[in-house]
Amino acid sequence: MHGMTRYFLRRLLLIPPTFLCITFLVYAALRLVPGGPIEQAEFQIRLAMMEEGGGGGLMDRSGELQIPESAMRELQRYYRLDRSIPVGYLHWLGGILRLDFGRSYVHGEPVLGVLAARLPVSLYFGLIGYLAAWVLCIPLGVLKAVRHRSAFDTWTSVLVFLGHAVPGFVACLLLLVLFGGGSWWDLVPLGGFRSEGWEQLGPAARALDQLRHTWVPVAGYLVGGFAAMTMLQKNSLLENLGADYVRTAFAKGLSEGRVIFVHALRNSLIPVFANIGNALGLLFAGSFLIEKTCNIPGMGLLGYEAVIQRDYPVILGTLVFLVLIRLAGNILSDAAWALLDPRVRFEG
Amino acid sequence: MPGPVKLLEIRGLRTWFELEEGTARAVDGVDLDVREGEVLGLVGESGCGKSVTALSILNLIPAPPGRIVSGEILFRGRDLLKLSRPELRAVRGGDIAMVFQEPMTSLNPVFTVGWQIEEAIRFHQGVGDRRELAARGVRLMGKLGIPDPERRRGAYPHELSGGMRQRVMIAMALACSPALLIADEPTTALDATLQAEILELMLRAKAESGDAAILLITHDLAVVAETCGRVAVMYAGRIQELADADPLFREPLHPYTRGLLDSLPRPGTGKGTRLRAIPGTVPRSLSWPSGCRFQTRCPLAQDRCRRVEPELAEVRPGRRVRCHLVGPEGRA
Repeated sequence: MHGMTRYFLRRLLLIPPTFLCITFLVYAALRLVPGGPIEQAEFQIRLAMMEEGGGGGLMDRSGELQIPESAMRELQRYYRLDRSIPVGYLHWLGGILRLDFGRSYVHGEPVLGVLAARLPVSLYFGLIGYLAAWVLCIPLGVLKAVRHRSAFDTWTSVLVFLGHAVPGFVACLLLLVLFGGGSWWDLVPLGGFRSEGWEQLGPAARALDQLRHTWVPVAGYLVGGFAAMTMLQKNSLLENLGADYVRTAFAKGLSEGRVIFVHALRNSLIPVFANIGNALGLLFAGSFLIEKTCNIPGMGLLGYEAVIQRDYPVILGTLVFLVLIRLAGNILSDAAWALLDPRVRFEG
Repeated sequence: MPGPVKLLEIRGLRTWFELEEGTARAVDGVDLDVREGEVLGLVGESGCGKSVTALSILNLIPAPPGRIVSGEILFRGRDLLKLSRPELRAVRGGDIAMVFQEPMTSLNPVFTVGWQIEEAIRFHQGVGDRRELAARGVRLMGKLGIPDPERRRGAYPHELSGGMRQRVMIAMALACSPALLIADEPTTALDATLQAEILELMLRAKAESGDAAILLITHDLAVVAETCGRVAVMYAGRIQELADADPLFREPLHPYTRGLLDSLPRPGTGKGTRLRAIPGTVPRSLSWPSGCRFQTRCPLAQDRCRRVEPELAEVRPGRRVRCHLVGPEGRA
């Protein structure tokens, strides 16, 4: 156990340098890529002027937009772009350490508040989708392995791969077209996290409303990961059923059920469970495409919009969050593996 | 004269595998008896059907592609091939236990060795009391010479050495005092220095736990010479010679048996003398040779050998040989 403690301690100590590298690279990239917030502002102004047709005081003789030096500096200071990249990065980092993520250019609110509002939404759908995947994929994978090459196995494989070929957001679209109250059925709302005026509803109505908004996005998440997880479980169990120790268990006189569900299943779950860290990362991040399709104000959509609008503090804020979750997820995966497989002993 | 009591009688056993290239007749008409309390060696080269014979006894042939096509396996008069599933389960690990070759892969990696040994006791003898189970597990491990069994009981297979793991396998097999122990190459995966020790332990443990008969499957004639009372020599899916160990080693009758013995180094052979290997390789079970199955490699093969397969005939009391050239009068 000593080696293990040291291993995990080392993994934890590796988080800060990894974190610094990733955030610095992204920070530098954001600053270097053309089309930053000032250019965006200029573009807006130019657009406005073209519509007005007038010049105003900002136009020089050749008709170019001319922002006065002082105003430019003011803008740069407002967007915190007046410092060199390393200095700017250090300032930003200092803020992060004080839990000051800055203000969103677009929303005008503190970034932390923006994130806090979006995170539960992504987490809600992601978590339910993930749990649903476990509840459905593991038993299905087990059943497919036990009935390998039966008609059941063949037909579920066809369905699983059909589902695999459909991206999650397309599945959402399809469901919305069918059940969203268009030409066919009106069973689910067209999107959103909750209905307007949800706070005014009674507890039962609230739950029902929430549930009605849940089906489609969760189905989208489920379709995305379903095939991989089902087949991972199936192949893992199948491989274990062919192992020597399974023959030993049969030779001991154990029933088929005990051999499969105690001896082989326990081993086959190791790779499935050890994936938990990666899944966690995806789950917090939310899927931009599904959130866009279903109009869910989650993390994925937030990150996407921030990039389009060059909302640097929000981009960096989501990045901080996702990097930390990812790094923690990796450690969690290792821990799950060590917990399930006694052969795994990490050297410190 | 009442003969020794037959514990297991294999009659005309055929176990075939349906492969894409055709039907592999791995075991193709095996007749073999195991007597109460004896140690019977089943020897032959790789691919001759020894292991498939052993697995067939407990119906452990993976099906598909394997299939026991015909034959009977009578254990104390009951045909094991006709048992219901619960009856078969009671026999497996209860009356007949098995030790496999690879102690690393044959133990479940995620359960402690104590748990795996005690599992058999739990299911066959309905012992539920944890402390009693632990005590029996520890006692078995101690019997197999596992040092500090109280602590080792909680170890996982990968934490033990190969020799310790094989002791665990044997302890597990002997847990319910079986009447027959089938050991399939039990020492092949171990260091040479360990082999004798493990065999010795197995024989002693067998004697202490109700004198089980042992069917010892091996390609190693030295192991047979040390441990077995009787020997069956198998080739190409059939028994070729069956005899008590001493006469067999003193005077092998079947040309194949002779070839096996000649390929062994002996104390008398001088340095530099080349060992005589049997020419060629075991034919593929997809198409055995016509006539005698050994004729393609037999130095004495005659025209008759290529056309007609000989019977496994009793040439002397207690001695059976499948060869045209061996008559009652002696060797070819």
